[in-house]
Amino acid sequence: MLKTMGAAKQAVHANVGSEADVPVAKSASTGRKILPIVEGVVLVAALLAPLVLQDYLTVFATRVIILALFALSFDLVWGYAGIMSFGQALFFGSAGYGVALLARDLDITNILLVLPAGTIIGLTSALLLGGFLLLGRHPSSVIFVSLGTLTGSYAADRLARGWYYLGGQNGIPSIAPMSLGGYEFTEGPAFYYLVLGILVVVYLLCRFLVRSQFGLALAGLRENEQRIAFFGYKAQHLKAIIFTIGGAIAGLAGSLYAFHEGFVWPNMVGVVVSTQVVLYVLFGGSGTLIGAVIGTVIVEGVSFWLSDNYRDVWPIILGLLLLLVILFRPLGLISFVLGERERVGSFGAKPKEKRNAAP
Amino acid sequence: MANAFVATFEILSFGAIIVLIVLGLGIIASMMGIFNFAQGEFVLLGAYITYLAYARGLPIWAGMVAAPFVVGALGFVLEALIIRRFYAAPIVAMLGTYALGLIIRESVRGLIGGFYLTVPEPIGGSIDIGAMHISAWRFTIIVITLLVMAGCYLLLSRTSFGLRMRATLENPSLARASGISTPLMYGATFAFGSALAGLAGALIVPVFSLYADLGLRFLIQGFVAVMVGGVGSFIGPVAGAGVIGTLSAALPWVMAPVVADVLVFVLAIVFIKFRPQGLIAGKGV
Repeated sequence: MLKTMGAAKQAVHANVGSEADVPVAKSASTGRKILPIVEGVVLVAALLAPLVLQDYLTVFATRVIILALFALSFDLVWGYAGIMSFGQALFFGSAGYGVALLARDLDITNILLVLPAGTIIGLTSALLLGGFLLLGRHPSSVIFVSLGTLTGSYAADRLARGWYYLGGQNGIPSIAPMSLGGYEFTEGPAFYYLVLGILVVVYLLCRFLVRSQFGLALAGLRENEQRIAFFGYKAQHLKAIIFTIGGAIAGLAGSLYAFHEGFVWPNMVGVVVSTQVVLYVLFGGSGTLIGAVIGTVIVEGVSFWLSDNYRDVWPIILGLLLLLVILFRPLGLISFVLGERERVGSFGAKPKEKRNAAP
Repeated sequence: MANAFVATFEILSFGAIIVLIVLGLGIIASMMGIFNFAQGEFVLLGAYITYLAYARGLPIWAGMVAAPFVVGALGFVLEALIIRRFYAAPIVAMLGTYALGLIIRESVRGLIGGFYLTVPEPIGGSIDIGAMHISAWRFTIIVITLLVMAGCYLLLSRTSFGLRMRATLENPSLARASGISTPLMYGATFAFGSALAGLAGALIVPVFSLYADLGLRFLIQGFVAVMVGGVGSFIGPVAGAGVIGTLSAALPWVMAPVVADVLVFVLAIVFIKFRPQGLIAGKGV
């Protein structure tokens, strides 16, 4: 997968290189096509990955795809609506715990039941937390929302650690595999294509969402919340809606993760995973959906690829790289190939007329 | 009676520890508007320096004296190199300081491994009052916390340094116009906050032992305390820390520890939601 990713990046670079020769006016019109190319290359690489990867790598790739789905949920909330959710793992993990309990106590593993259940758990918890933090007579400060989500995630972590019913420190081990009729989804290509299919569907839905009028309002919210409020939008409601959608996606990812790994443990709701997803998205490039996916693949891929000897050093390097990205590439790695205009993109039905409407 | 006394002492001593940790966090948050995610790692560094001194055979108190100066110097350098770029954007500052904290934490983890290293108390034994025994070191922490608190208060409210600091943070352009070097003041404030964290780490390491996630354990409690107390003043975060520390230590005596643990956070968030300005509103000392 990594090799194909590398090839994909080279292909993208080659593409950019060839366009550099084209006069400026022309490159402005052809330059708008980089994003679909990147997306297409990533999709093809993802589709072909199980054919070239060994079995244990396919299992790893499946995990990465699930985490990419999770990263997408954070990207929606932070990259598009500008809500810093430091507690995205709360929805991821509580859905994981929810479906694990369903499987353990009620023997429900049917995929048609557990995935919607996980999604609903994520959605509900995000609705409750987001509604509480974001809505109200006075708009909440960004600091309050980010620290509130962080605290929520931390408190859930402590709760999961201390509550015997949830397995305490050890979490819930050996969850039965997901099933559909008589078929059981165990680790392997079938599971891989299942999560890839889900990722593609969710990705397309998100893409539609952020390119719609709703997405335009969100972009305005991110850039200047007050102005959007003056236009008559209910900024807080928009935020709560996107926060809830993000929570639902995180819940979906969390339930897939629980069944794929076969166990859930307190870290899954806690600060560690919450900050990990922030890393993915910042690396890849927040505010572009594909950036979240690429960031996940790179961060997870490299940390997997580095041998055990380097694994101690890796978090330090990760921190340094993160710092460099924040200081010098605030739009993430994707901004090396993607221009600002294309990142912001166009909204609604007719891009030509609305080009100036983008914030 | 004896039990109640021991409980009160435990609560006081934990409250003091939280206050000590929040002091630096609160000064940086109130005065500079930055929620420093690396603060926990500054605490960790203070603890690590104390451990180093102990491991090299130096007296422990020497490490404890050195810790705030070393960590403060590091804070000054980091402010000049990195933190300075974040002033305009509070969220970016959170992420940047988080990255810094990650680097420091993982470096320390690499240095000490995954162990829990113990450092003995420089003042061992216990103080006996009748039939009751209280840890001498924990008592010392309470005393030092009170002294440091008073010292910080006097520094900020009574000295010209404190005045210039507050002037810079309240109205930077006016302060510059009055001839105060604002970049220097920002650096000094950040260094001061870091030094307090280093001191906190040095003092608590005999109680909690040294491990890589030592700082992280207190960071979120510290943030919550700052928010509860109110950002903008010196007294606010300290008051918040007192409340949060006391609650976290007191609630487990009356209910299941798990519930108490979570309840503190829930109560704090609900409180901040309905009183965003915190316990003590307004600017000043």
